[in-house]
Amino acid sequence: MSMEIFQGLLYGFQVVLQPINLFYCFIGVFIGTLVGVLPGLGPAAAIALLLPSTFAASPVSAIIMLAGIYYGAMYGGSTTSILVNIPGEAASVVTCLDGHAMARQGRAGPALGISAFGSFIAGTLSVIVLTFLAPSLAKVALSFGPPEYFSLMVLGLTILTYFARESMVKALMMAAVGLLCGSVGVDSISGRYRFTFGIQTLMDGLGLVPVIMGLFGISEVLLNLERGKQKQEIFATPAKGLFPTREDWRRSTLPIMRGSVLGFFLGVLPGAGAIIASFVSYAVEKKASKYPERFGTGVIEGVAGPEAANNAAAGGAFIPLLTLGIPANAVMAILLGALMIHGLQPGPLLMKQAPDVFWGIITSMYIGNAMLLVLNLPLIPMWARLLRVPYAILFPFILLFCLIGSYSVTNNVGDGIVMWVFGVLGYLMKKFDYEAAPLILAMVIGPMMEEALRQSLILSAGSFTIFVARPISAGFILAAALLLILPLITRRREVAKAWTSVPQESAE
Amino acid sequence: MSRDLISGLFWLAIAIFFSIEGLIHLKLGAVRQPGPGFFPFWGGVVLGLLSLVLLLNSLKNRDRLSLSGLKSSKFLLATGAILAYLLLLETLGFVTITFLFLFLLLRLEYKGWVFSAVSALGGAVSSYALFQLWLKTQLPAGPFGF
Repeated sequence: MSMEIFQGLLYGFQVVLQPINLFYCFIGVFIGTLVGVLPGLGPAAAIALLLPSTFAASPVSAIIMLAGIYYGAMYGGSTTSILVNIPGEAASVVTCLDGHAMARQGRAGPALGISAFGSFIAGTLSVIVLTFLAPSLAKVALSFGPPEYFSLMVLGLTILTYFARESMVKALMMAAVGLLCGSVGVDSISGRYRFTFGIQTLMDGLGLVPVIMGLFGISEVLLNLERGKQKQEIFATPAKGLFPTREDWRRSTLPIMRGSVLGFFLGVLPGAGAIIASFVSYAVEKKASKYPERFGTGVIEGVAGPEAANNAAAGGAFIPLLTLGIPANAVMAILLGALMIHGLQPGPLLMKQAPDVFWGIITSMYIGNAMLLVLNLPLIPMWARLLRVPYAILFPFILLFCLIGSYSVTNNVGDGIVMWVFGVLGYLMKKFDYEAAPLILAMVIGPMMEEALRQSLILSAGSFTIFVARPISAGFILAAALLLILPLITRRREVAKAWTSVPQESAE
Repeated sequence: MSRDLISGLFWLAIAIFFSIEGLIHLKLGAVRQPGPGFFPFWGGVVLGLLSLVLLLNSLKNRDRLSLSGLKSSKFLLATGAILAYLLLLETLGFVTITFLFLFLLLRLEYKGWVFSAVSALGGAVSSYALFQLWLKTQLPAGPFGF
């Protein structure tokens, strides 16, 4: 363990243990759990909603809170999956399968318990790895030039489309649409306005917050409204019995470990993230199991693995953000925006330029995970009661939060209109089997990709060979090419199977 | 007409628009010095080609157009309410429009005038307190000052 990391950690804890930062961390993980529990309001929308309220806070406090919302949501999401069989959050979709089956057998307690403990273990492990990996990766990243950045982003988009739920062609189309959406606004190199049609709101480009709230928040509510009233069985949780038995632990230990490793690495890859990590973990556990046929009937491994994986992924996702300045998913994209609003430039230099933020975020996750474990188990009865509130009462307030969130970032009604447009578009996309995730990621990294591409071409005097002549860049491109060719041979059966074995509700 | 056919045509149109706009209005530039139209143009080309693949596939294996349960009335009401909220927000002020918005939507799905009115009022006032007074979000004030 190098001295530098040790000092960094120490410094980070000094930052986080200040009462104000502890307070923000607590608020973050609490709100995170809440939006995780509530179906139809995910961490991306919640962070977007609360972003304006952090303008007055210091950058460190703001980012600690916003990050807390993200990993907090990973904890909360499983509660709804287990008790109601609806994913509270997209990364908890697979938890429905065995988690809810366990609840049906009267074992909701251990299911909730093992997801909280599994999440804690995985979350903490991934922060430990993050602590040791981030500084050295930031150093490697300093040697990245525009070609490496461009190729890495190509790889990220390819990974995301590879794991697409529906056809890969459609996912690639959405990535292309996202890139086009990202080109709206001022061209950073020439300063020319593009696709603004003289509309004031579009001059700064399409706002990330309104687009996310439209695609994920509004469209989800519209779909739920249409589904109408469904009788939902909510399982009362026993006040005691949240602790898994010795036998449960014995069966869950390996899945939690595997889920942690897998989740972390999929989290680091731009484009993969928590949702995919949970699916892959489920598939792996099923393969590794001596009784794969019992998966789906309430096997604890099917809860422990994916829940560990999505938390580990949440930690891993900070790596590309903190070291490269590339967001791995929509949530990281908003955090990137938040850092920039607070005058910080995420990337390899962040560790040097704002060590309080860099180490503060990392150490806050140790504290936050511990808070979540303590907070979560006693609060489960409260969350269960919250889930009894009928959707008919809930949805007007979800819409209201989206409206306030989209308006308050820039105090501009135009952004609300953007949200409305993307809300309707997102609704239609669901109807026509298109996914929103590639669109969002592409929209965020679009401007970065374009800049990297154009700078690379200027560097190479117009030769595309620059992307394969440099070894790191060539590696990224090769991996992306393999992912594009692979489905033509294997037809992505495994991925498709994993998706279809899961309830369809609120996939984002 | 299959769903892929309809949506494929839609995205093809978008792709053509961006490509033409990138080619003609913005400048493609030279490959050694790409202009502002370079990226949108090629993005449009890629989207267009993918749309064509989708269109060809949809002609081969045609699935029927089944947009399950399009209850258009609720959809129109909800989207209309959101749009109305945005258009009236700055004239009526946050609290008034929020009350009306919540009241309408609560009535839409849930019975009971009194319940809807009370919760809408409570929601409007408490969200004002939360966002305006506590979190210091700048919400638009109406003719009554809130």
